[in-house]
Amino acid sequence: MARVVILGAGISGHTAALHLRRMLGKEHEVVVVSPNSRWNWIPSNIWVGVGKMTSEQVTFPLAPIYQRKGIEFHQALAVAIHPEGGAGQPGPYVAVSYTDPTRAGQAAELGYDYLINATGPKLNFAATPGLGPDGHTVSVCTPSHAVEAASALEQVIKRLGSGERQTLVVGVGHGTCTCEGAAFEYAFNVEHELREAGVRDLAEVVYITNENELGDFGVGGMTFTQRGFQTTSKMWTESLFRERGVRAIVQAHVSQIKPGLIHYEQLDGSTNTLAFDFAMLLPPFRGADLKAYDALGDDITSTLFAPSGFMKVDADYTAKPFADWRAADWPSTYQNPSYSNVFGVGIAFAPPHQISEPRTSPNGTLVAPSPPRTGMPSGIMGRTVARTIADRVNGSATAPAHTASMAAMGAACVASAGTGVRKGTAAAMTMFPVVPDYQKYPGTGRNTKDTYGEIGLAGHWVKVLLHHLFIYKAKARPGWFLIPE
Amino acid sequence: MDNADTAIASAPLPTPKTVRGRTNLPVQAWRFVAINLRMIKIIRKGHA
Repeated sequence: MARVVILGAGISGHTAALHLRRMLGKEHEVVVVSPNSRWNWIPSNIWVGVGKMTSEQVTFPLAPIYQRKGIEFHQALAVAIHPEGGAGQPGPYVAVSYTDPTRAGQAAELGYDYLINATGPKLNFAATPGLGPDGHTVSVCTPSHAVEAASALEQVIKRLGSGERQTLVVGVGHGTCTCEGAAFEYAFNVEHELREAGVRDLAEVVYITNENELGDFGVGGMTFTQRGFQTTSKMWTESLFRERGVRAIVQAHVSQIKPGLIHYEQLDGSTNTLAFDFAMLLPPFRGADLKAYDALGDDITSTLFAPSGFMKVDADYTAKPFADWRAADWPSTYQNPSYSNVFGVGIAFAPPHQISEPRTSPNGTLVAPSPPRTGMPSGIMGRTVARTIADRVNGSATAPAHTASMAAMGAACVASAGTGVRKGTAAAMTMFPVVPDYQKYPGTGRNTKDTYGEIGLAGHWVKVLLHHLFIYKAKARPGWFLIPE
Repeated sequence: MDNADTAIASAPLPTPKTVRGRTNLPVQAWRFVAINLRMIKIIRKGHA
């Protein structure tokens, strides 16, 4: 009998759990540990943040799904990994602390034969003083944050309705943030709602980002071939900003937020302020606060994790100049190099480097979008690791690992620019691969036939379709496994 | 004016016909099919 423990029930962890349960016989145990009781389709949080969806529409309780599928569920926070066991525990185990209200704060040790770390990000609001719901800005990272954002937006719309001018700022709250695509989506959904409410003329909408230029999205931008010409996501995005009258501040590191005032530094070293009445700024991410200990109880956190808190996997973490980075540096098996039965997937794995070129201001401030590794790539990683573990449990313990490098996988992204069955729009984009491979695709680093974008109502319909499709899949309804990640 | 705002000010604007096309139901019904086909192609490559 084998026991697989999965830390985290987001896109990659939940995908891995469901596939493992399908691939492994009933004599084997699949265990999920998540501090949250509900699954969240995060891409739709932006619609909760403009009041077009409720938090119930983007979440569902995990326990009934896991009970139906025969997956053991612990609503708990993973605290430490003991990959060599420890006192009184001969085998590897994870120390957890329950968040389940019925046994909140209780500790437990969960033994494992295989461990998947899919803990996702820690929302590091503390990196920027004044950032986040406990500070002076709102967020759409979680459903409850998004509900607060919708409420704050409603107040702004009321003030605009009474003739008061308002400045709305949307973007990222630190120079090393990721998920610029989500900030972009929220900015244009807010702009769309202002127009729908008939108050757009009194509102200034400003997008503030750490991207070097618009359309970078943390992936170094994209080059599209359209109507016989190569065009860039920069020009395409700037065109949308002009059409919709949205201002932009790029190359920005937000350093501090005071009530109604954002302090930021730009790559040229200049420091500036921006007054706001409403601000939704995404936080930078860190790895979950997981520790690791060896059999003697010595701290080996730095063996399993990078300083960022993300888990080390089969990537090339050698420090080298940007020009020397290669697609081959990116991991493909997501197996920890020190412990072959431990894997890190989704946001939880430590990327070897940024995809967008990192830059530093004359003051030494790093302005470097972190690589996105959410959505489709996260799901594929979860399934790939599930296949590796299933092979090793069902066959040989040394069976070769399945692979899925972000430098050999594409991504389909749909960035909403406003909701509505007839009036909605979204930018539908595909790219292949996610991490540019300049050896294989000289020039742009990507296959220009498979890297594509267009804006329209159809993109909005696709995003709505994906919302329902992925919630159906996550609920493990009949035929769920036929829906690809 | 910020450097990004300068770039935005000189970005190409879509023609009224292009803007209308973005919400034209028959056009978008076709684009819906086309986008899904493109995505299926990418998904198939990712699941190879």
